[in-house]
Amino acid sequence: MKQENNSRREFLLTGLLAAGVIAGCTSKKNAFEAGADADVVASGKKVKLLSVDGDVIEVDEAFLKPVPQMPAVSNSEARLGIEGKKFVMVIDLSRCKNLRKCEEACDHMHGVNPGQHWVKVYPMKDAEHTAPYWQPTTCMHCDEPPCVKVCPVDATFKRQDGIVLIDSDRCIGCRFCMAACPYSTRVFNWSAPDIPAEMASKPYSCETSVPQKKGTVGKCDFCPDMTRKGELPHCVSACPNGTFFFGDLNEDTVTNGSETFRFSDLIRDKAGYRLMEDLGTKPSVYYLPPVSRNFPYESGLENDSTKKS
Amino acid sequence: MKLLNKKSSGLLFVAFFVSGFAAFAQDSAKGNLNITLSYFTDNNTLPYLSVKVKTKANGKFKMVSDIPLKLYLNNDSAVNLIKAVVTNDKGEAAAIIPPSLKSQWSGSTSHNFIATFDGNKKYESAKADLSVNRAKILIDTTSDKKIVASVLALKDTSWVPVKGVDVIIAIKRMDAYLNVNETATFTTDSTGKASADFKRDSIPSDANGNIVIVAKVDDNDQFGNLLIEKTVPWGAKFIPVNDFGKRTLFATSGRAPVWLILIAASIVIGVWGVLILLVVNLFRIRKLGLEA
Amino acid sequence: MENLNALTEEKIIQDLLPQKFGKVGKIWVVALSVVCLIGAFAYYRQLRYGLVVTAMRDYVSWGIYISNFVFFVAISLVGSLITAVFRLAHVEWSTPLTRIAEMIALSAIIFAAIIIIVDMGSPERFYNLFLHGRIQSPIIWDVIVITTYFFISLLLLYYPLLPDIKILLRYKEKTGRKLNQFYSFIGSYWKGTKEQARISRNALHVLSITIIPVAFTIHTVTSWLFATTYRPGWDSTNFGAYFISGAFLVGAGSVVVLMYVIRNAYHMEKYITRGHFEKMGRIVVLLALLYLYFNVNEYLVPAFKMKKSEDAHLTGLFTGEFAPLFWFAILVGMILPILILIFKKGRRPLPAFIAGCMVVVGAWFKRYLIVTPTLLHPFLPMHNVPENYRHYFPSWEEWAIALGSLAGAMLVITLLCRIFPIIPIQETLTEHHETAQ
Repeated sequence: MKQENNSRREFLLTGLLAAGVIAGCTSKKNAFEAGADADVVASGKKVKLLSVDGDVIEVDEAFLKPVPQMPAVSNSEARLGIEGKKFVMVIDLSRCKNLRKCEEACDHMHGVNPGQHWVKVYPMKDAEHTAPYWQPTTCMHCDEPPCVKVCPVDATFKRQDGIVLIDSDRCIGCRFCMAACPYSTRVFNWSAPDIPAEMASKPYSCETSVPQKKGTVGKCDFCPDMTRKGELPHCVSACPNGTFFFGDLNEDTVTNGSETFRFSDLIRDKAGYRLMEDLGTKPSVYYLPPVSRNFPYESGLENDSTKKS
Repeated sequence: MKLLNKKSSGLLFVAFFVSGFAAFAQDSAKGNLNITLSYFTDNNTLPYLSVKVKTKANGKFKMVSDIPLKLYLNNDSAVNLIKAVVTNDKGEAAAIIPPSLKSQWSGSTSHNFIATFDGNKKYESAKADLSVNRAKILIDTTSDKKIVASVLALKDTSWVPVKGVDVIIAIKRMDAYLNVNETATFTTDSTGKASADFKRDSIPSDANGNIVIVAKVDDNDQFGNLLIEKTVPWGAKFIPVNDFGKRTLFATSGRAPVWLILIAASIVIGVWGVLILLVVNLFRIRKLGLEA
Repeated sequence: MENLNALTEEKIIQDLLPQKFGKVGKIWVVALSVVCLIGAFAYYRQLRYGLVVTAMRDYVSWGIYISNFVFFVAISLVGSLITAVFRLAHVEWSTPLTRIAEMIALSAIIFAAIIIIVDMGSPERFYNLFLHGRIQSPIIWDVIVITTYFFISLLLLYYPLLPDIKILLRYKEKTGRKLNQFYSFIGSYWKGTKEQARISRNALHVLSITIIPVAFTIHTVTSWLFATTYRPGWDSTNFGAYFISGAFLVGAGSVVVLMYVIRNAYHMEKYITRGHFEKMGRIVVLLALLYLYFNVNEYLVPAFKMKKSEDAHLTGLFTGEFAPLFWFAILVGMILPILILIFKKGRRPLPAFIAGCMVVVGAWFKRYLIVTPTLLHPFLPMHNVPENYRHYFPSWEEWAIALGSLAGAMLVITLLCRIFPIIPIQETLTEHHETAQ
């Protein structure tokens, strides 16, 4: 609920802040960051509006437009990433119940082929006597990505905001990255993707990863298109238990939409860890161990046996 | 013959009537829309309305786009029209109060917002309303990192403090609000004030150490949504280290490690140099042969 | 070579000229062409529908195309072994084998390049390798070395061919007009003068030296396509040497096979003698023992430790689903050939040929065992995936294309045998001249 309020609030608020309308002054560009709308330019045309105090004020028209579909990010911008940010995800294993809403949302929004998933929920049991738990696994967006090291054509690349993306227009389909990834996170479009015409006709962008193309590799992309709009990735919003937390490491904050925590506190207090740390990939996804669960592991099995794929 | 015609035409008429009725019956099973109105005041400047439209399909709620709505202030007469909006593909729309309604706006301390939908082929007509008492929220900070938020409501012509309003005091982050201490929500006392101690030491901020503190009221029955921000220099100065341009094994083609480029280049130049020499030799042989 | 003393120069030349295909030869060519055409049709289907026509899926994302690729690269190393190493070591008896080795090397490296393009999901973007290539990627290293090796092999075939072309041009009635035109186009400038011979000799010497490190590089880099990943069975420091020793073995085995076939098909008993089989047989034993040694290191050492990630993989190979194939490859690819060839009777032409066939067949399955089983044991469990993701058996399209590529390579060798003298004529004559004196 709050997160929806935020997005609604954002589009006007950021525009207004950028206009410097605080304290009733007119169209002076404000100093601090206005979020997604920071580079809206004053059009010069003024509009009259009503303030809370009942006064009529003037605001530049440009700042009042709701944020439209953001202009498409160019390929070179997509390869560069958002400056100053370092995206990180925290997955709380004590909350995952194998509901797989994350899989559903991600599959649906990205047109992932049936049977394949970019977010995968695994039943884990590390050893005979250790606890069983459900582990949602996204792409780790490693800081030393083995997949990027081996790509011969720079079709998969690491950005300055930490996200590892795939350029489906460049990929030659050699699948070396799939062999190199120890987290088995990448999938391949073996055939032409079976997606609705509306999705297939959208212009391709590395940041949306839509539409997927036959003969190329696909994977979780941390939804940079959503982040640019000030929204959370689809899996984060979709989980009813709030298992996924997403945020900017440089701000030391992660949120699942309703709860927000200071990242360093969260990891320290709940003993967060990363997968396969010893491989030296330096993943950007942290896991909180499955302690003090509200429901047993077995409750996740019901969702498991009914669905075949 | 005539009797047969009469019978058959009579049957036909019944058939048409029934099918027509069936078609009509199908049409009348229209969906129902659920309209939610919310009122926002950000930084005590512009108040605006947000409307969300959803419908229940297969037991689940789904947002509905392309629904034309009319938003009114106080009553749904044409003179009180705020704006006619259409919901976007997320099922949302918003509007700001236009100056033309200044007299109605200044006229009272509380307002009733109405949203109407006239109905179309797919959905029944629907209506929703929201009443709101005009209020504003103020924020103040002290040097010992204490934040005080006060909520004031408009009564007659003056702003009076309101008791018992839940206020969230937090730090504005990328797409979330981080509470300033462990308490999630604060309640205003009889003076309309709620205070919180800033406990997030060394929270990373921008290069100047500035962070934005936010006090907000979410979905209050009386006042809607209020928000105010203030920039304070309580963060830890943070300049993100960007080693994006470094030469690594996982950088782009142009930024390979120097040692790798040198080794690969020397091997290629060395071997291909030999190969080119050998081809040159072939031409030498050829020349000798053609001369002879 | 002993028998050659009784022959005249003229007779030697007549024996060694390229011969027209007899009935068997024609059937052979037609059969290979049919297999190639079926493969081409399967590839058309693959281009049209995507790699979904194969049995590869997200876990086994590399299948028999890649194992075929490794196999081809391995076989192509024989060019450097027989031609270069023996030439540098002045191994006289290897003279009849040098061109066979070069033909195998050339056709194998061509089809290695072809099969790797076939494996690509979006081959229409092949040019991206050159436009946007990343020097950090082992695939780019492979592209560079394979291209380099192709040109070196071409030169190593061409240089010694020049004196033979001079001879071939003399026999227009035997070779036919078309071929004669071809020969004169590619080498009529060779007159055999002292100066030309000197340049050629030096060039061959330089070529022989250069090809050895390149040959080592080509298979080492191919092994690094696997060794640079974390996967069990691939995460080994041993891979470069392991692959190279295997390459030498399969190369030597293929030379033995081709020796026998050519000897019988073209009645070259006087040139490819029993002595050749005796000596090549010993070499194959040596290489097989070396490869067996590397296999022991590669499998028994991790088995001693049984790390969690390697446990399932090794168990699958030793006693599990891949056990029959694994023991077949070890037995048929290494142990039985050793047992055959270690005895003098085993080094006669026919048993040596059988051992050579076993080496080659065992090697093909060994390459498959290197590529696929590892992929079926990922670090994270296979869960919630379609059933066909959990197994791999190539589809008919994959078989058609893989067999088509093998047939294609054999077709190229056959074609080269038809056009060029399989045994270098000039060098044979020179040696005959020297021994006669």
